[in-house]
Amino acid sequence: MNVWSGRKKTLTVFLFLLPTIIAILIFNIYPILLNTYISFTNRNKFRPNPDCSVTLTGVLDPLCWPSFRENAPTGLGSPYKVANPVYKNYKDLLGTLFTGDALTALLKIFAAFVPLIIAWQVDKWQGKKVTRDVGSGLIWLIGLIAGILVALLLDFSGAFKLLMTTGDFIVVVFRTLLFVIIRVPLTFLIGFVLALILNNNDLPGKTFFRVILFLPWGASSVAILVALIWQFLFREQGTINQVLGVLFNIAPKVWLNDPTSAFGVIVLADTWFSYPFVMVVILGALQSIPVELYEAADVDGATWWHKIRSITLPLIRPAVLPAMVLTSITAFQMFGTAFAITAGGPQTGANTPGATEFVMVYAYRQIFQSQNYGLATAFAVMIFIMLFAATLYSLRITRITKGAYE
Amino acid sequence: MSKKFLTLISFILIAVFVLAACAPAATATTAPVEPTKAPEATKAPEATKAPEATAAPEAVTIKIWHQWDGKYLDAIAAAFKDYETAHPGVIIDLSKPEDVSNALKVAIPAGEGPDIIGWANDQIGAQALVGNIVALDDLGVTADFLTSTYEPAAVAGVQWSGKIWGLPESQEGIALVYNKAIVTADYLPTDPLNFDDLLAKATKFQKDTGNVLICNQAFGGSDAYHMAPIFFGEGVPSYISEDGTVNLNSPEAIKAANFLLALSKVSLKENSYDICKADLAAGKVGMWWTGPWAIAGVEEDKVDYGILPFGRPFVGIKALLMTKNAVDRGNAEVALDIMKYFTSAEVQKKIALVNKTIPAVTAALKDPEVASLAAVVGFGAALNLGIPMSPSPFSSAQWDPVGKASAAIWTGAQTPEAAMADAQTAAETAVAAMK
Repeated sequence: MNVWSGRKKTLTVFLFLLPTIIAILIFNIYPILLNTYISFTNRNKFRPNPDCSVTLTGVLDPLCWPSFRENAPTGLGSPYKVANPVYKNYKDLLGTLFTGDALTALLKIFAAFVPLIIAWQVDKWQGKKVTRDVGSGLIWLIGLIAGILVALLLDFSGAFKLLMTTGDFIVVVFRTLLFVIIRVPLTFLIGFVLALILNNNDLPGKTFFRVILFLPWGASSVAILVALIWQFLFREQGTINQVLGVLFNIAPKVWLNDPTSAFGVIVLADTWFSYPFVMVVILGALQSIPVELYEAADVDGATWWHKIRSITLPLIRPAVLPAMVLTSITAFQMFGTAFAITAGGPQTGANTPGATEFVMVYAYRQIFQSQNYGLATAFAVMIFIMLFAATLYSLRITRITKGAYE
Repeated sequence: MSKKFLTLISFILIAVFVLAACAPAATATTAPVEPTKAPEATKAPEATKAPEATAAPEAVTIKIWHQWDGKYLDAIAAAFKDYETAHPGVIIDLSKPEDVSNALKVAIPAGEGPDIIGWANDQIGAQALVGNIVALDDLGVTADFLTSTYEPAAVAGVQWSGKIWGLPESQEGIALVYNKAIVTADYLPTDPLNFDDLLAKATKFQKDTGNVLICNQAFGGSDAYHMAPIFFGEGVPSYISEDGTVNLNSPEAIKAANFLLALSKVSLKENSYDICKADLAAGKVGMWWTGPWAIAGVEEDKVDYGILPFGRPFVGIKALLMTKNAVDRGNAEVALDIMKYFTSAEVQKKIALVNKTIPAVTAALKDPEVASLAAVVGFGAALNLGIPMSPSPFSSAQWDPVGKASAAIWTGAQTPEAAMADAQTAAETAVAAMK
């Protein structure tokens, strides 16, 4: 009798899982390990090849593996080795972030947000009560005023400027986060408004509008090419300036040479690429909301705004939140739009990243233009840690939404 | 069959598939049909023979990765076709990978790389450091052969670290291509190194006509190459020297930066290759600071043009480089023969007459038909003033700092002094990281 238990069961399960485990090890774990190892070395254009006699290099670098070793090029460059000190690449990226002044500046910036965090917690606590002692708006207003006062008191702008001179990492990450903070809510707002319009049963030609409004999502698969059209629109001799000139007699503005307007153009273009995804998710969620809830609200005399706040937004939350987390991560990793429109520019100096040099554009320049592999991989490791933490947090947020309909 | 054997057979089958998949590719080890001689046996270089005089081995495929495009490629492909006709056993496979540098990183260790790369000479140092290309000294190419065959700038451009790394094909540099219909003699600079005169004429031109005198794709962008005539023309010897010394904060560099700032006041705020090309044809700009590659487009636009040297441009050398794979595959002898054939006076003359390129081989450059070409006369004069592009890997550290500094000056984000000081620091940091 064949007993389906014990060692045999474990072995069979293991064998079935083995291909997947091997694939994960080869395609997920190994690149992370190699990347992390390179980030602790001085590998660059002058030290491009491995010294296979070093154990870790011999194991991790494919050029040391038997099938490649025979053909591995050995040029005039010396082999790369572990950096001295070992964390040198990380230190170079972070610059002076861990000095007393920079850490104080960081604390001052954080302190300006403390009143807002307190307001958030107080609002949450009040929301759990049967009847609120203080209105939500007042709590947030007090938090905002307190935040501004703290910022003025602690010289927020001085602290911020100091922090921006510490090194490339902080500058690039801050600009990317700013991009995410502006682009993601904008995407949600546009997607939400359009979804509400498209969800209206009385709208004539609904299918046509759905297709038209969804088109930018299709275009995003060739984002770099379509982004060139956006670049053309905003050039000195581009369509926008021509229209402004004809209609309002406004002198041509060089949108892409100004750091603020160039940043705005990237936000606009990437929002255009991204809103259809959010719109479709919200549209799906809207259609799952029972009509009876709105009918009951109408009977109670609820206004349109009340219905949006108390029925629509809470009930689309489970579907929208994971989508917003996803779109935030996509926005953080955005490359094509910025690279095609501004290539990271406009440049504000040789020692600072360009005004639209977001994390991926910066990483690209380090790898493909400077060929400073050690520094670029250290940057990648830090970004990986940040995104990994964000992903774990997002899992926590999305778990909160579980059971909204239960 | 019992389940025990079924499991065992399945396991063995999977193992066989995995091992088969991991086996090296057959092409990496397959020898040519008729084995070619080892590199040591390569003949000493001689004056390049005509195609029919060369004895080639049979059934050898020579892979060439290149950067040639459009009409340029047509004339070049025809030259290689002639070689194939004269050598029935040789097949020349031309291809243009999107990203040569990265494609080589994978292809060379796998033994799947090209035999010859057609590339700019500033790539030599980096490729020699990695070991992707081989020195031609070991294959019998001598310095005497180079100096007796090619132009001095081209000879210097293919040598690095005391070795010869390629055979030069053509030379490139930028000059002022002007529209004769709108730029009269009054606005043409008479001294190619007098920047005050050029600025005065650009100012006068704008005042008189309302248009812009000079368009350059580097103005406002990060482009150190097209910016070179200004910096070198004002006296900067090189952005970064062969030994890694950075020359970006010198009085000459700051003078050039100040000229750039002054010129930005009488120029288009935004420049690009397409803008310059379109505006030159439309008569909105008088001159386009560009290279021979733009001439075909200018002629297509039916612009009556003249070429005027100004400043000291970078002299870039297009060269053929031999890869490590060519030696490993035993193709070195044939590959070298093709390189010599392609860079010969006869072939380069044919290509120059069609493509308006400036040959690196002296005999072709001095040929009366080639020497009388307007592009060769104009760009040739610019090349005579130019600074050869260094094949040293340190030169890769120059592009980003100079490009960013120029852009920051043009847009007014930084003063010339601050921009050049930052560029100096950035380039020194990059060089230090390489050492």
